[in-house]
Order: sequence, then structure tokens, then C-alpha cells
Amino acid sequence: MLKAKSDNHGGEDYLRYLENEKKISDQIIDYSRSMITIINRKYGYEKANATFCRAHRMLTDSIVGRSLGDIWGENTFKAYIKKNIDECFAGKTVRYEASFETPGLGIRYFEVIFRPLSTGNGEVTHLLAETTDIDDLIHSRKAVIEKEEEFRTFETNLPIGFLRVDPEGKIIHANRTFLRIMECGEEVPVLGINVRDFYVEQGIFEMQLDQLAEFNTRSFGRVYLRNCKGREIPCRLSAYVALDDNGRTSYIDFALEDSSRELMLENRLLQAQKLETIGALAGGVAHDFNNILATISGYAEMLQEDLKSDNNHYKKASRIISAVSRGLSLTKQILTFSRQVEQEKVPVSVAEVLKETIGFIKPVLPSGITIKSKLSKNVVWVLADPTQLFRIFLNLMTNAFQAMEEKGGKLAVTQTVVEGRSVRSELNKDIVADEYVLISFKDTGKGMEPSLLKRIFEPFFSTREFGKGTGLGLSVVHGIVTEMEGEILVSSEKDKGSVFNIYLPVLKYTAEPLAGEKRKKILFFSGNKHESRILIIALESSGFDLISANDSDDLYSIFTEPGNSPDLIIYMADTEMIKQEDLAGLYNELKIETPCILITDPDHGVIEENLLNSGIIKQHLLKPVSLRELRDAIQFAIK
Amino acid sequence: MPGILIVEDDLELREMLRISFARKKFTVLEADNGRDAILHFKPSVTDIVITDLIMPDEDGLKVIMKLKEQKPSIRIIAISGGGKVGPGNYLNLAKALGANAVFSKPFSINDLMIKIDELLEPEQHD
Repeated sequence: MLKAKSDNHGGEDYLRYLENEKKISDQIIDYSRSMITIINRKYGYEKANATFCRAHRMLTDSIVGRSLGDIWGENTFKAYIKKNIDECFAGKTVRYEASFETPGLGIRYFEVIFRPLSTGNGEVTHLLAETTDIDDLIHSRKAVIEKEEEFRTFETNLPIGFLRVDPEGKIIHANRTFLRIMECGEEVPVLGINVRDFYVEQGIFEMQLDQLAEFNTRSFGRVYLRNCKGREIPCRLSAYVALDDNGRTSYIDFALEDSSRELMLENRLLQAQKLETIGALAGGVAHDFNNILATISGYAEMLQEDLKSDNNHYKKASRIISAVSRGLSLTKQILTFSRQVEQEKVPVSVAEVLKETIGFIKPVLPSGITIKSKLSKNVVWVLADPTQLFRIFLNLMTNAFQAMEEKGGKLAVTQTVVEGRSVRSELNKDIVADEYVLISFKDTGKGMEPSLLKRIFEPFFSTREFGKGTGLGLSVVHGIVTEMEGEILVSSEKDKGSVFNIYLPVLKYTAEPLAGEKRKKILFFSGNKHESRILIIALESSGFDLISANDSDDLYSIFTEPGNSPDLIIYMADTEMIKQEDLAGLYNELKIETPCILITDPDHGVIEENLLNSGIIKQHLLKPVSLRELRDAIQFAIK
Repeated sequence: MPGILIVEDDLELREMLRISFARKKFTVLEADNGRDAILHFKPSVTDIVITDLIMPDEDGLKVIMKLKEQKPSIRIIAISGGGKVGPGNYLNLAKALGANAVFSKPFSINDLMIKIDELLEPEQHD
């Protein structure tokens, strides 16, 4: 434009024409929304359009002739502008975006373009600077990027698997959750795979496509998909069909959720309800059955009364009473399972009971089976009936041994403390205790099929051959644990083994002797060391002082020394400390009136205990004895 | 001759109890539900009551309360075989309501007799 154009036209007309053309182009330049200037090699402005002047609140005259450093400040010029201008003078069009401040516009984003202007010989003498305000554009562009980013994060982190497929079902896009649910690592590229191939039953996919053709949007409920690892995952699926302008399917979006957990919880709830129902039923049966047992034993006792003890039939009546005892032990178990017997609870150290249980079972361990225990060093207390704890531990260990009976194996017993929060979802409880003690029994036995696993806590359900065991064991364990507000979880793998995990709420407690009223003294004749130890723990925690006698001499001095005599005697029938007839003899000889409680094992057949017939027994209990029974009996015996 | 009232809805069990007490020379009165026991209660001839707890038409707990109201000196033994909340709980409740002794079914009839003798003793001293 600046280049003088030599032309054949001459004269004033041409000059006027030129003059006019310049005015027009100046006007065009002035009206431009961009700031337009012409800069010479000395970094001075030679021309500036109206937009530039407005932005700088200056008149054209006061800009032209001044240097860039003057207008923008030396520092800004040197730091940001000079380099670009030099590059342009070297013959290159320079374009960049920058934010800077002008007096008229404030701080805004601009697009700056420097174009070299050259004379005919190619030498760049000036450059044309065009600075366009792109602030709004930048902001909206930024907003779009942010929105995009936001959506991408949302879509990526959404706990819902998201999938876009083409009309044939080929995957175009899959989000991270989808890959996670499907367990598809980097090594399995899912793009291009047909979504149909994930369906366990492909017919379902075709059916869904048909439905989508009709309804566009559809929730399909639970569908089983086979993931990249080959596992079948129950998924909740819904889909949406996007149509193009011609009404044809453009793509299909799928949203899916892994509902394994939901399914697991549903199943567990179902199990719990089932157990509850069976429990109520069984409890009702036990109630009626107890009435029947009471009738039978009543008549049997009357029979005994009528007959002399040396009569042949007397023994038969005893056998009836023994049978009643066994019936009672059965109804007791049923009532425990159905949680219709509230347990008497005292603070108990879990490890102590575990140790006694292991000690109890070790001598009868079948060969080829080992037991390894790892118990936490700190004493962990729970609120429990020690006899019931003993029972559930014994039951689980016995089951483990039976599972390993054929091939031998190892039972690992561990005891750890876990935080309630961290096991909330496992326990499936809204309200959890601060801490739980987790007692785990892991065997390497024959394991169980999933179908079996579902039913093991049902009463009368037994995996053993018909006639062996009552099938009450695990249902009773379940009842006791549930009553303690604990939880029992099982996992098992066929031929690999089973794990039983018991969670019991930890009791914050420091053991200290019970003060106050005078503690009752109990002379305890223990039977099996470990089993007795449990009863001793239970009694001591209940506030009794226990004493023992090692032989008859001991016993003699206990009763003859003043202030030494006990308030009560508990005699376990399997004790080796003193024979029943000797104790009875001592009673006679010393005219002892101390009440005595006898504990016998109903599985030992007919009760022919000498003590029982001696008249000194105030209460007769059958194993397994619960703390509640024991305390009731003590209360009954001590007046 | 002490009078005993047996409140029990199980016919066979009640029969057994009746026979065993008759043998011991008790005057036996019977009721097969709580309402009848309360309605036909004869304070003058009843020294001791044995009542089941879970029964149709007024349960044993009501029997304990009502009879104690009518005759505070009456001796009551509650017997239970478990139900919705278990024998332990019901029996404890019975105790709290004034039962002098409790037995869970099945029980030894001899134990029951011993208890009854014990409960009737102070009365005889009066």
C-alpha cells in the first residue's frame, strides 16, 4: 500500500484517485476492530489506527513517532515484544496470544500478528502489527475446555460403567469404571469388541436391542456379563439409543453397575430371614417338646418313688430320666439357635478361652492334623458367656478336623482386632462397634460347595452322613454369635478348605477384683482341666471365690478349720480329685450342710451317680452348662 | 392339707402334676388358662400356685399379678418351657412380678416338691 505505484495514468486525476484510495483504506483500517499499527526498524510507530488510539487513550499524533518502549514501557517491550518484532523483521509472520493491559480496555487477551512489509527488493523495512481483542473468545474457549474436562472427570470417575457402542454393538468408548467392573486391564483392548460378547447369554442382548428399537431408553435390570477374567458379574444395565437426523440409530449408550454386592446382601438378608423363621418355628416346637419332656420325667420320677432302688424296674425309670436329659439338651440347643435364651454375660478374655479350647481338643487330635494358633498379645475382652464361647470355638474346631479327617491338614486359628469402620460393609451393619475381635478358623480340609455353604447355619442341616450329629452345631454357633451382636462369615472352596470368621464387639474393660459385698466361696471339684477352667473363668468373672482340694486331707481341713468352709460345692462328675462316695461319706461324717451342685454329661449314658441318690445334691446340671444355668443353680442352692 | 392350684394349658403335663400332688396329699385345683385361674381363684383354700407362663387367654404373668393382689401371702411357682423370648427371660420377669420360685421345663418333680416344702414352711410357723 505504501509502495508508490508507477503508472501510465498521470496528472491530478490520478493523484486525487490515489488520495481517495488512501483515505478509504485509512478508514477501513480505522474502522477495524483490531488495533493496527505500522512499526519501523527503529521500533517506532509510523502509523496507528483509531482502535489503537482509543485503547491507549491517545491521539494519533502523539503515538506516531514514538517508540514501542515509550508506549508499553521499556521493560515490557524488552521482555515480551522485541523478540517477536525482530523475528518478523527477519521475514516471518509472527502470531501469538497474550494478555496485557491498555489504558482504554484494561487487562484483556489479545491475538497479536506481526506481518513483515517489504520493499520490492525483499528488504523488510516495516511491519504491520494487528492486535485483536480475543478476550471473550479465550474465556468461552476456556469455559468449554473446563466443561469438557469436568465432564471427562465425571465420566471417568463415575461409579457407573459407561459404554458407547455403534449400531452393531461394537464398542466405541468405555469409561474407567466399565474397565474396572469387567476387570479388563491394559492388555485387553475393549475398543472394537462387540458388547454382545460380554453377555453370558447372548440371546438376551438381541432381546435388548429389539426393546431399544421400540423404546429408545430402557432399564434392563440384572444381566450377567462375563468379564475379561472370565468371571460372571451380575450387572444392572440400562441403555439409550441416539438417533441421527434420519431417525436411524447413530450409537447406543450403556450404563452398568456391578450389583454383586447388592446381590450378596440380598442373599444374606434372605438367609437371615430364613434363619429367623426357622428359629421361630423351632422355638415353638422346643416349647411344646419341653412340656412333653416334663410330663415324661414327672411320671418317671413318680415311678422311681414307687419302686425301691433295688427293684429291676427302678433302673428303667432312671433310663427314662436320662433320655429326658438328652431331650432337654436338644431343646436347649434349639432355643439357643433361635436366640430364645438370653445369655448371661461377663467380661471374658477371648485368648484365654481360645487357649483352653485348643488345650481341650489337642489331646484328641486325629493324627495328620496340626493346629497352629496366633493370638494377639494384648488381652482383648468381650462381653460373653465363657461357656458359650468355649462351645462355639470347640464346635468350629471340631468341624475343621472333620473336614480334614481323610487327608489330614492344618487348622490355623488367629485372633486379631479390627476397627469397626473398616469392616462395616463386610458385617453389613448400620451401626458397628468401635472395634471387633476377629477370630478366624482356617482349615485345609475338603471345603464346601456354594450350595452347601448357603445352608450350613440352618438347624438340622448336616453335611455328615445321616444319623451322625444333630445338625444343630453351627446353627447354635450362629445363634450365640448373633446374640452377642457379632457376626459369623464363612468362605469355602471345594477341596481347598474353609474359613470361619467370627467378629465379636470388643469390650473396653480393665480387669479388677469386684469389691463390695462379701464374695461367696465355692469349692470346685474340676473334671477335664480345660473345660473346668472355662467354668472357673465364668464363676470368677461373676464374683465368686473359687477354692479347690487336691485330696481327702485337703478336703478334711477345709471343713474342719474354722472360717474356711465354702458356701457351695460344685462337683463335676468326671473329677479325679475325690470319689463321689468319699464326698458323700465326708458329708455324713462331718454333718456338712453345704449345698452341692452336680454337673454330669448326658452323653455318658444312664446317670447312676452315687451323689445324685445321696440327697445332698441341691441342683443337677447337664453339660454343656451355660453361665446362666450355673448362676440360677447357685442362686437356687445358696439360700 | 395344703391347697395347690395348677395353671397349665398342656393337658398331659397338668394331669401329671395333678397326680403327683395328689399323691403328696395336696388338695389340687386346676385351670387350663390364665383367665379361668383368675376368675375362679379361691384364696381361702389355695396356699400355692404353679403356673405356666405362656398360655392362651391371659398368660401366667397376669395370673401372678392378679392372684398376688387378691392374696399377698400366696406362694407362686412359675414354670416355662420357652417361647418367643425364651424361658430365661419370661422366668426372670415372673420373678420380678412376685413369683417365689421359677422352674424351666422340663424340671425334676422332686426338686419342685422340695421347693414347695420350703415355701410352705414359714406359713406353718405362723
